[in-house]
Amino acid sequence: MTATAQPSRSAHPERPGRSDGVCSEFTVFTEIKPGHADALREVLATLADAADDERVHAAVRQIGTLHDARHVIFDNDTRFMFASVFDGSWDAYIDDFAKTVVGERFDKVFSHSEGFPGISDPGVKDWFVAHQAPAGVFVSAYPDLTVQQIYKDHRVEEAFEEVLDTPEFRAALENPANAELVATPAFQKLLEEASA
Amino acid sequence: MNTADSGGSAGVRVEIEDVQSGALRPRPVPYEGKFVFLRVDDRHAGRALLRRLLPVTSGGLPSADLSRDAWVAVAFTHQGLRALGVPQDSLDSFPRAFREGMAARAERIGDVGANAPAHWEAPFGSGDVHIALSALSSDTAQLDEELERARAAYEDTPGVRVIWQQDVHQLPTGRTTFGFRDGISHPNIEGVGLPGSNPQEAPIKAGEFILGYPDETGNLPPMPRPDVLGRNGTYVAVRKIHTDVAAWRRYLRANSSSAEEEALLAAKMVGRWPSGAPLTLAPEHDDPELAADPQRVNNFLYREHDDRGLRCPAGAHIRRNNPRDATIVGDARMHRLIRRGTTYGPPLPEGVLEDDGADRGLVGVFIGAHLERQFEFIKAEWVNDGNFIGYPGEKDPVAGHHDGTGSVTIPGKPVRRRLRNLPSFVVTRGGEYCFVPGLRALRWLAEMED
Repeated sequence: MTATAQPSRSAHPERPGRSDGVCSEFTVFTEIKPGHADALREVLATLADAADDERVHAAVRQIGTLHDARHVIFDNDTRFMFASVFDGSWDAYIDDFAKTVVGERFDKVFSHSEGFPGISDPGVKDWFVAHQAPAGVFVSAYPDLTVQQIYKDHRVEEAFEEVLDTPEFRAALENPANAELVATPAFQKLLEEASA
Repeated sequence: MNTADSGGSAGVRVEIEDVQSGALRPRPVPYEGKFVFLRVDDRHAGRALLRRLLPVTSGGLPSADLSRDAWVAVAFTHQGLRALGVPQDSLDSFPRAFREGMAARAERIGDVGANAPAHWEAPFGSGDVHIALSALSSDTAQLDEELERARAAYEDTPGVRVIWQQDVHQLPTGRTTFGFRDGISHPNIEGVGLPGSNPQEAPIKAGEFILGYPDETGNLPPMPRPDVLGRNGTYVAVRKIHTDVAAWRRYLRANSSSAEEEALLAAKMVGRWPSGAPLTLAPEHDDPELAADPQRVNNFLYREHDDRGLRCPAGAHIRRNNPRDATIVGDARMHRLIRRGTTYGPPLPEGVLEDDGADRGLVGVFIGAHLERQFEFIKAEWVNDGNFIGYPGEKDPVAGHHDGTGSVTIPGKPVRRRLRNLPSFVVTRGGEYCFVPGLRALRWLAEMED
C-alpha cells in the first residue's frame, strides 16, 4: 500500500546532502581523537550487541525517520564515518532526539571525535554540516516511501495475509451476497495480490 | 480560569514586567485591534519614535483592572534593526531564520504557488517593513485611546512612515471566518505566573518562549549581542492569511449528505465544534455547555483515550498544531507556540456558498524563542506534511496549501474515510519575522548613539 497523496519534498537549502524522493542521505567524516579508537570500538560493540538487539531496534523505531545507519572506523583507526538515510532532512528532529536514548548514543559515539560539541549543544547542527560530505549519487529503491509508510504497509500486509489464511474469507468470496463487492476494480486489485 | 499555573513551584522566575504584553498575554474575548507597519528612513528619527513609543508600550500580564485592558506592542524585522543603526556585530548575532526573513524562507514553510512572496500584498516581504506595531484590547474606547497615543508618536516623527495598516476585530459570532471559536489554547509556561489553558499540560520551560531562560533542551535560547538587547525578548511570525470561506462551505456541502454530517465533517477537519468544544471530549455533537466551561474546554490529552484518532483525527487542524501527548514522530514539547489569531474583514453571511469578493481572513501571530524549531518546523512537518502522524503527504485540512489533490484521512470504524481532491481554503497574503524586545532592550534601542 502506498499513499496516493504525493509526499512533500521540503527544501532545506542550507543543508547539504542528496535526496531521492522523500529521503535524503547524510554522511559525516570525523577525526578520531588520538588514542580513542578502542574506546569508540567498544561503544560501537555495545550498539551492535546481538543480545541487545530488541533495545537497539526500539531506539531506531523511536527516531521514526531513520531508514538505516552505519558507523565505520577507517584509515588505521584515525577517522570515523557515520552514514545514514533519513526521511526529510536529518536535522529536522535533531533537537527532539537529543533528549532521547538515541541522543545519548550519538553523544557517546561522537564524543570520541575531535571537536564534537555534544548533541545538546546549540552549535551541533553546524558542526555536523562542517563535517558532512554530500554524496555524488544517492538512489533509493523506494523513493516514495517513508519509514512510517513502510511500517504501515508491513502491518497491513501481515493482516491481509492472515485474512487470506482464514477459510471464512474464501467462503465470503464465493457468497453471492458479496458478488457486487468482489466485482469492483478495487477489490479485484486486492485479489490480484491475493492470488500469488 | 484554569489553574495549571506553575509560577510558584518553578526554579526560574521570568522578569515578566520586562516582557512586552504583546508577547505573552492571551488575546482577550471579545477583542479589537490594529497592526501598523512602519518604515524608518532615518535612524535618528527611528530612535526618536521609540523614545515616544516607550511610555505607550506595556509589559507584564493582564491587569485585574478592566479599565486598563489594552496594550501596544513594538516589534522589529532584521531590516528594521538595521535601519535603526544597530551595529553589524549585533545584527549578525541573530539566528539565521530571523536574519533572512520570512519571504526568504517561503519554500521551507510551504508558501509556494499562489502563496509565494511574489504574490504577497505590499509591503510584505519587500524589506520595507521595519517596525510592526500592534494594539489589542477588549474594548474599543480603550483601544482608540492607546492607538491615539501611538499615532501621536509616529505621526509627529518625520523620517518614519506608516506603510501598512490592518484593523482586526472579533466577528459578531465570536468565531473565525470559518465559523469556529478560537483563542482557546494557551501553553503552560514555567515561571511566568500565567495559567495555561490545559490543566493536564506539564509546564514548558520559559526559554521556549522568552530569551534569557533555559529552554527544553537545557540550554539558553540563542541570544543576540549585546545581552541587554536579547533578554526578555522573543520572536513572532506575523502572517496575513486570506480565507476562502465559500470554498470551505462548498467542500463540506459536496462531501456530506445532511446538515448533521456536514457539521461533523467540519469538526473532524478542525478538531473542535463551532462552540469550541473539542471532539476528544464531545465526539458525537457540539456541546456549548462544555465549551463555555474554562475548566473543561481545553482539559484533555490524546494518548489514553484517542491515540488512534477515532474521535479527533490525528490530521485535524488543532491536533496537528498541538499534538499534546499523542503518538507522533519526535517530541511535541520541542515545538510549542503561542498562537494569537485575529480576524479581519466582514463575515460571509451564513448559508452563502458563493464568494462575494470580500477580503476576509486572519492576522495570525505565532510567538516563540526559536523560529526554526517552532514556527518553521510546525509549518514544514506538521502543517504541510503528515509523516509525523503516519499519513505521509497529507496536509492540515484547514491551514494546508492544497492544490486540488489534497487528501485527508478521517479514522472511523469499520473503515476510515478518506477525503480527496481537497482545494486550498487559505492563501498567504504575506508575513514577516519580527523580534519583540523586552522593555529594557527597547530603551537600549531608543538610546543608541551615533
